[in-house]
Amino acid sequence: MTGYLVLDDGEVFKGEFLGETHWECVGEVVFNTSLVGYQEIVTDPSYYRQIIVMTAPEQGNYGTLPAERESKRVWAQGFVCLEFNDVHKSRHRRSLESELFEFKSPILNGVDTRSLTLHLRSRGTPWGTIVCTQSVEEAKIIGRERIRQAKEAVGSDWVNEVSQEKTTLHQGSKQKGRIALIDYGFKKSILDQLLLRVKEVAVFNSRATAKEILDWNPDGLFLSNGPGDPAAVEHAPEIVKQLLGTKPMFGICMGHQILSLALGGRTYKLKFGHRGSNHPVKNFATGEIYMTAQNHGYAVDPDLPTGVQLSQINLYDKTIEGIECKAKKAWSVQYHPEAGPGPHDSRVLFDHFVHEVVL
Amino acid sequence: MPKRTDIKKIMLLGSGPIVIGQACEFDYSGTQACKALREEGYEVILVNSNPATIMTDPESANRVYIEPLELPYLRSIIEKERPQALIPTLGGQTALNAAMKLHAEGVLKQFNVELLGASVEAINKAEDRELFKKEMAKIGAQVPLSFTVHSMKEGWEAVKKIGYPVILRPSFTLGGSGGGIAKTPEEFEKILEFGLSESPTTEVLLEQSVLGWKEFELEVMRDHKGTFVVICSIENLDPMGVHTGDSITVAPIMTLTDQEYQAMRDEACRVIETIGVATGGANIQFAVNPANGERIVIEMNPRVSRSSALASKATGFPIAKIAAKLAVGYELEEILNDITKTTPSCFEPSIDYVVTKIPRFDFEKFPGSKDFLTTQMKSVGEVMGIGRTFKESLLKAVASLEKGTGGFDPVPWDEEKLVTPNSRRLFYVAQAFREGLTVDQIFEKTAITPWFLEKIQELVLAEKSISLGDLESADSLLNLKRLGMTDAFIAAQLKVAESTVTQARKKHSINPGYWSVDTCAGEFESNTPYYYSSYWAPAKKPLGLESAVVVLGSGPNRIGQAIEFDYACVQAIRSIRSLGRTSVMINSNPETVSTDYDTSDLLFFEPLTAEHVIEVLRFVEPKGVCVQFGGQTPIHLAPKISKAGFQILGSSLESISQAEDRKLFSQICRSLGLALPKHETASTAQEAIKAAERVGFPVICRPSFVLGGRKMEIIEEPKALQNYLSTVGDLMAADSPLLIDEFLDHALELDVDVVSDGQTVLIGGVVEHIEAAGTHSGDSMGVLPPQRVGQPLIDRIEDLSRKLCHMMKVVGHLNLQLAVKNDVIYVLEANPRSSRSVPFVSKATGIPLVRLATQAMLGEPIHITRYWKEMDSICVKGVVFPFKKFQEADALLGPEMRSTGETMGRSHGVGGLTPDYAEALEKAFLSAGVRLPSEGTVFLSIRDRDKEEIPELAKILSNLGFDIIATPGTAKFLEGIGVKVRAVNKVQQGSPHCVDAIKSGMVSLVINTVSGAKAVADSFSIRRSCVDKNIPCITEMSVVEHVVRVLQSRHNHPRYQIRTSPL
Repeated sequence: MTGYLVLDDGEVFKGEFLGETHWECVGEVVFNTSLVGYQEIVTDPSYYRQIIVMTAPEQGNYGTLPAERESKRVWAQGFVCLEFNDVHKSRHRRSLESELFEFKSPILNGVDTRSLTLHLRSRGTPWGTIVCTQSVEEAKIIGRERIRQAKEAVGSDWVNEVSQEKTTLHQGSKQKGRIALIDYGFKKSILDQLLLRVKEVAVFNSRATAKEILDWNPDGLFLSNGPGDPAAVEHAPEIVKQLLGTKPMFGICMGHQILSLALGGRTYKLKFGHRGSNHPVKNFATGEIYMTAQNHGYAVDPDLPTGVQLSQINLYDKTIEGIECKAKKAWSVQYHPEAGPGPHDSRVLFDHFVHEVVL
Repeated sequence: MPKRTDIKKIMLLGSGPIVIGQACEFDYSGTQACKALREEGYEVILVNSNPATIMTDPESANRVYIEPLELPYLRSIIEKERPQALIPTLGGQTALNAAMKLHAEGVLKQFNVELLGASVEAINKAEDRELFKKEMAKIGAQVPLSFTVHSMKEGWEAVKKIGYPVILRPSFTLGGSGGGIAKTPEEFEKILEFGLSESPTTEVLLEQSVLGWKEFELEVMRDHKGTFVVICSIENLDPMGVHTGDSITVAPIMTLTDQEYQAMRDEACRVIETIGVATGGANIQFAVNPANGERIVIEMNPRVSRSSALASKATGFPIAKIAAKLAVGYELEEILNDITKTTPSCFEPSIDYVVTKIPRFDFEKFPGSKDFLTTQMKSVGEVMGIGRTFKESLLKAVASLEKGTGGFDPVPWDEEKLVTPNSRRLFYVAQAFREGLTVDQIFEKTAITPWFLEKIQELVLAEKSISLGDLESADSLLNLKRLGMTDAFIAAQLKVAESTVTQARKKHSINPGYWSVDTCAGEFESNTPYYYSSYWAPAKKPLGLESAVVVLGSGPNRIGQAIEFDYACVQAIRSIRSLGRTSVMINSNPETVSTDYDTSDLLFFEPLTAEHVIEVLRFVEPKGVCVQFGGQTPIHLAPKISKAGFQILGSSLESISQAEDRKLFSQICRSLGLALPKHETASTAQEAIKAAERVGFPVICRPSFVLGGRKMEIIEEPKALQNYLSTVGDLMAADSPLLIDEFLDHALELDVDVVSDGQTVLIGGVVEHIEAAGTHSGDSMGVLPPQRVGQPLIDRIEDLSRKLCHMMKVVGHLNLQLAVKNDVIYVLEANPRSSRSVPFVSKATGIPLVRLATQAMLGEPIHITRYWKEMDSICVKGVVFPFKKFQEADALLGPEMRSTGETMGRSHGVGGLTPDYAEALEKAFLSAGVRLPSEGTVFLSIRDRDKEEIPELAKILSNLGFDIIATPGTAKFLEGIGVKVRAVNKVQQGSPHCVDAIKSGMVSLVINTVSGAKAVADSFSIRRSCVDKNIPCITEMSVVEHVVRVLQSRHNHPRYQIRTSPL
């Protein structure tokens, strides 16, 4: 079936539609340059309300496994690629198609993804929708209407929409260390990396109060990744401000942005964001350069408040990749040291943090 | 840290002649490195023995030494130049081994030369199997169960523990030479014996077989600060058991999950760290068990490699250049990415296309050799196809092989050919689907990962569905083109002319678009004009580059068309640029300098088929096209290019066809009064027999339109002709008749390279062959200036060359092959293009032939500023053969070319000395791996017609102190004339016989001339055992004379003065 990716700027990209035509598929259209890791990407809550365009042409090759998900579900609104593949039964894995379809995410296959990517690069991050119609003209009309409606309906605090409601407790493999993980849309890899290093981790809702969290008596506080605009996340900066200085704190991605806001910094929207597995980041403290996993549309303004230092930088575009506030024992990074998908170079940051926590 | 300032002068070693396992990729890496180092202000001293390289051009380095990569020569160069550092990691295994020798002999220490890029310790850890195993254990990486053995006895003990099949890998050899897989004790004995003799350290690694496991490679880089990046991940379509150089490989990796891939990446990082490659590139190979994901490290090369050249071309990341910069102290962070020009080099390229490499084989050149693939590399070249999908890239690579329709042409079904890896297995996989086999069945038989099989199946299904209706439907036709199918292949399925499909395509406006290779999958802007075509790309407006000049490359290396032509292409591109024109390169060979993104203004990485080339021309809209530099490939394309409306620059299409067409060419020769060997053509076997009788035996036969003398044979009598005809039937047709020429026995052959602007004709040089007529010119050694031909004859040759040039209206290159017999000059062949000998001649004489030819083709007149004979040196071309890799092949030379590469031995007239022919000969031999002994035993086995030359030869050898052994007949004859000789049995007379003597190592030189099919067959084992044992075996009396000259010269000057180039 022919399908179209309609963008709110009027551009239309044609492809082969896979899925049910009534599935809703509207969101920001973003591209990711990772060569592997499609399952981790589509199940990362940070892709909430986004349609993902993979620049690597062959997708689905090695199937999926529920155990390799980054959360309980697929978050991507839709999946756009050039060549969609089934997985051979000898791999004993589930197809990417089944994974996406279980959560009603359609696929637009056979798309000239390079033209699309170059468009997204020059245009920024438009909204889009995948529709099935008889003609391009019809697609444009229906698509625009759908986008308009969706934009009207959508709230701005996306973090609140993906954050788990109830607090959950997870047992780690070590004798020491209790970490409170504040869930802005956390990836399972973050939890896994923490559990490898500490005794237990409690996951709190993004709006859990400082008191609720501190009552659990954590040794360290961890701010997770999450979707959307950090400036639109309600309560979180205030809560983090209250928590600052009580315990060592570490933030990733959205967590990094919330920490910056709590410290008095600002955030801004990048033109088309960073999504991929190959961005070089320099850690000033050690001089090391990590290949990093990236997934964010916003960044922290380089005009940092006093008492906050720039600790890591993106060597591609010099955007801020890490900050620290020594006085409050708080650190954060914009990228994803937990990887999943992506290089493991910076997992060492978990060691540094846990070292501070269980000192 | 910025670059080091304590170092001023750096020495670089090249990789020597082209051999299987070590080809143009090291010219590519060396040239890149030279350029990078010179840009940084270092003085670069380059040593390489291969004249057919860009790196040995005078402008590549501050000083270029075309000298053997051997200890005494390297020592004397170091002594003279006093470099502070040596980079051993850019010239393949040859350079690495040479550097290790310089270290072992204390030369580096004596002259205080620092190794950059990789330390002696790191090289040892990577190369020595036992040390490597220990290092891997340290970091918890698994390696196959293995034992290093130094004798047959140790071998038998080890194999008891490992079991069969077992892999044998000799240490320190090129391309896995001497290795293999043994499934039985018999095979084990044979391979181990050979492997032990092959290894310079008499060391062979016996290893648990991981046959059928998936094979992966990571191309990685690291700087001195420890920043580590994976430049390219590669997955082999062929599972373990086939040498990676012989495997079809795909980038990026297609079938690993993120967890699997990252674990491999982590391990690669630990490997390079523990081995201790402080700076530079490395290649790490892994095998993964498809059943359970178990992963082992196969090997690590602490240097740039064939794979790193491929990775550079596949991603746009110039590994060799960056490696050179890292070696002198830079960090990855400090080096700008050339492609984006805004981001640093410390990143991992992301690509949004797929790259497939397919090796090219030449088994048919080695009659008797079996076409099957093992852990010993046998391919002679490779092609790379870039497409947006795996299918498109695979079929573009298939088209790049320049065979058939450029698609999965059907092959006669043979299940054995599916099961046993061989040069055409990909085609048998496709055929298997046509025969109805399933993915599972083929997986069972081949262990090729099902994902790849499914893709091939999809292509075969698409092929089956092709109908005439597809030509009417734009969508259907576009879908076929998006799969990578050529017009010719689609036409073949429909049984229509290729032009019918092309026209249908044009009617529907289906044209490929061009994307550029940008290292970042479109994330950042880049303006690098390195393009590939895809039907997944929107067609763009033509560039309309009216001043652009397109150079067609030579495609994959093959015997007869290799680096010499890439040399010409690169020289041509550089001349075009220097004339202020826009240069455009089209080529499909990833190993080359011509496909470096900054060689030309625009690079199109495309198959050299008429379809792909014409599409590029339509996109570029250039002024014209150069077809004279890439060998026969562009010459074949010329008519179609011209027909499509593009201008062929230089000699017109008519003058090109005059040279190609025997009839037209002989008319020209006759009108000039030039002698030609008697010749006939025949389209049928009957015609051939009659024609041969008219010419008179012996005759020399060959099919038309072949390169490197394929299927060219000297036929001595009618019966042999019958046999021959039965093997060339399919190559003979009315439009490509069989050529039957008089064979000029014992004639002296010469090569002449000429350049003309249409008025002025410049003689580049006359190369005198050392072998007599009958040995292919590409396989003959040659000398410049001629040593046996006097000036009057040279004058006549030059005169004749000029006349031919004028008559044929040559603009650009002309190469002539001449023979002289009884003072008559015969014209054997004229090639209206650059030739194999052009780089050698240019290097020897200092006359930039290609540059002059390019200028002439662009309308600039040629000014002759020097005469070629003014050269102040004697230069000998040496030749390298791959017989070792083809166990069943005979090392006897003949009219069919089989050499893979060449060397240059040069003797300078320095310090008042005149150039010494013997010195030049010795260097040419040595660089080609022929180590002539100074003492020991010579075995003589000589055919009757050469017997009259024996007495003198035997006396000389005897006087030089050699012991002589000979077969009974020869021995008796020698005794009769008073030469001390020992008789040894012929093989047929039973052991102990001459081959036993050779194998025992007691013989240091063999002279074996032979003719007639039976005698050739009987003496096969003599030559074969010499190849296996690395004993020089001379099969031509004309060469024997030259060997004797070397031996005498050495005898007379016991402390041989090594002369290197003047400063």
